[in-house]
Amino acid sequence: MHTSLLTVLHKEYIFRTSNQGIALRLSTPAFVISFLLALLLVVIIFFSITTGSYDLSPNQAWQALIGNAENQTHQDLIWLFRLPRVCAAMLVGCMMALSGAALQNITRNHLADPSLLGISQGAALAVVASIIIFPLMTASWRAVLALLGAISVTVIIQLLTKNSATNKSIRFILFGIGISAFLSSLTTALLTYGDIYRVSEALAWLAGSLDSSNWPDVMILLITCIVLFPSLLLVSRYMSVLRFGDEVAISLGSPIATARLSLICISVALAAIATAIVGPVGFIGLIAPHAARRLASSGVVMHLIISALFGALLLAGADLIGRTSFAPLQIPAGLLTQIIGVPFFIFLLLKRKSKQS
Amino acid sequence: MLAASLANNSSLKWASAIGIFVLLCLCALLFMLHLSVGSKSLGFDTVFNALFNFDPLQFDHVIISQLRVPRAIIAVMVGSSLAVAGAIMQGVTRNPLASPSILGMLSGASFAIVISLSLFGISSPIYTPWIAAIGALFAVVIVFLICLSTSKGINSLNLTLSGAMVSAFLAAITSLFSLLDEENYDQVRVWLTGSLAGNNMEDITLILPWMCGALFISILYCQKITVLAMGDQVAHGLGIKTTRLKFELLAVVVTLTACSVAIAGPMGFVGLVVPHIVRLIVGSDYRWIIPSSALIGAIFLLAVDIAARTIIRPEEIATGVITAMIGAPLFVYLIKMKSAQ
Repeated sequence: MHTSLLTVLHKEYIFRTSNQGIALRLSTPAFVISFLLALLLVVIIFFSITTGSYDLSPNQAWQALIGNAENQTHQDLIWLFRLPRVCAAMLVGCMMALSGAALQNITRNHLADPSLLGISQGAALAVVASIIIFPLMTASWRAVLALLGAISVTVIIQLLTKNSATNKSIRFILFGIGISAFLSSLTTALLTYGDIYRVSEALAWLAGSLDSSNWPDVMILLITCIVLFPSLLLVSRYMSVLRFGDEVAISLGSPIATARLSLICISVALAAIATAIVGPVGFIGLIAPHAARRLASSGVVMHLIISALFGALLLAGADLIGRTSFAPLQIPAGLLTQIIGVPFFIFLLLKRKSKQS
Repeated sequence: MLAASLANNSSLKWASAIGIFVLLCLCALLFMLHLSVGSKSLGFDTVFNALFNFDPLQFDHVIISQLRVPRAIIAVMVGSSLAVAGAIMQGVTRNPLASPSILGMLSGASFAIVISLSLFGISSPIYTPWIAAIGALFAVVIVFLICLSTSKGINSLNLTLSGAMVSAFLAAITSLFSLLDEENYDQVRVWLTGSLAGNNMEDITLILPWMCGALFISILYCQKITVLAMGDQVAHGLGIKTTRLKFELLAVVVTLTACSVAIAGPMGFVGLVVPHIVRLIVGSDYRWIIPSSALIGAIFLLAVDIAARTIIRPEEIATGVITAMIGAPLFVYLIKMKSAQ
């Protein structure tokens, strides 16, 4: 009886596409975990749309969701404010988590995260510049600018680390720290220079706050996810080989230069567009992939899916806590993820060293 | 042979003395320039008259004595304090990246000041240096504890990473408190970006004696720092009680940093940039590094502050923003150099 339970628990189902481009190794624990995460996500959505400065009962919320609300207030509350906000939170969390997972794979560095490498700050600088210099710019153009900013930072970091000999991965982060400091000072200078109304708009965005999310934002995020997540899955095959290092990957016949380039592009695009919409949200790309690895050992694709779910859960949860715990004040979700993320980073730093010794 | 080395030595001393004299002149010159530029440009003759022949009825003289002189004095003191603090830290830890901003001391001090303001409403300049000192000490101790608990111990990578992380954490908590308490936050918002503006002479006179004292003590200690920079074993062999010396120097560094933050807010990267410039010029003898750091620190911050006040005149950029713009590329360059080795 006991053994049969174990075999069921450890049974693995492997699905492949015909050319083996994508292989999904679905072990039962991974399946159970992702199911549980999805369930938790539903719970978070439920609380997000019912609680707030104006509480709704579950029934009222449901009625408003299916389109026969008691009155216009309920209808607007759900459809104009709470639902787009929780959707944006989930999508951004999911994108940052995927970006972090890809970065950690490319750099073979457990400490990589878009906000630690200065990628988010590059996007932030571009967006703040656009808010202050071209205030009439629409959200989608801001996303393009953010992408450009993030790409330039990535190119700079790549150039800086190109020829360094040893211990490359941790230097990556030190460069990131330096570059972030420089970019943040430029951002601050722009803020002191700019017109006060535009500056306050830029400041609200910079705190990583979701409170102005609307449906067009959600559409941009959703389209990005729909395009980039499958492309990430397509190159995920190389991701699993890259984990073993360049030599092994080359000897197994992987085109590592192409694979790495496309992974970097996808990961930077995910982080930049998420940042353009809600502002810099740190550390989710660091926490979610680690948590996913800890929750269930699995293949790369399943790991990506669990990371994405966990990231969505994390940011939606942080936003829910941030806007309810000190109501009517709203604590930006980016601040909360930073407060959770730093101790986690230090924990990883300590663990990493003890493993090496 | 002996005579030759002596002659060599004395010519070196002459060169260094002349160097210090040139730096002093440069510092005085920048001080005057600092007084003359600003949203209203004043001639050098007006500056001279205001300093030595003060007439309280002339508006320009009042501008200089009430607004610009305190600011220039602060620039000099904060610049030299942070530079000397950085030089001492780099000597003691034998680490080119050590400095008050990298090791989280600036964020620790500003964190403590913001918290004490919003929890207990303390904003008097009598207490802020002490509160800032507690915060700076707290942050640097945590950074060192994190480094010590990693297996590789204290090296530049660990110090920088944990310093940056502790700074990020404290900054997040600081902004959390500022959101919860917006009224008090308005008082510190400009100060938090590192600004030399908005101090009056009375507040400064409470803090300046501490800075002068700490600077004087660090010049007394500079011989021992030279020995300590050669490594603990050498210092031990030459009869220095290294542990005790390190604690004394930590107290000096914390005092210098805390006073600077209490006056001018977190002024990033000054403690990193200046000692590196100094070491390029005078080499590795801390008997010269410490005094020259003090002078070049003052010159650096005066120059930066002149730039901050003139670039987008009549408005001004926070001085800390410009020091970060200069310091961060140097930081990247230093890591690049380290990884090339």
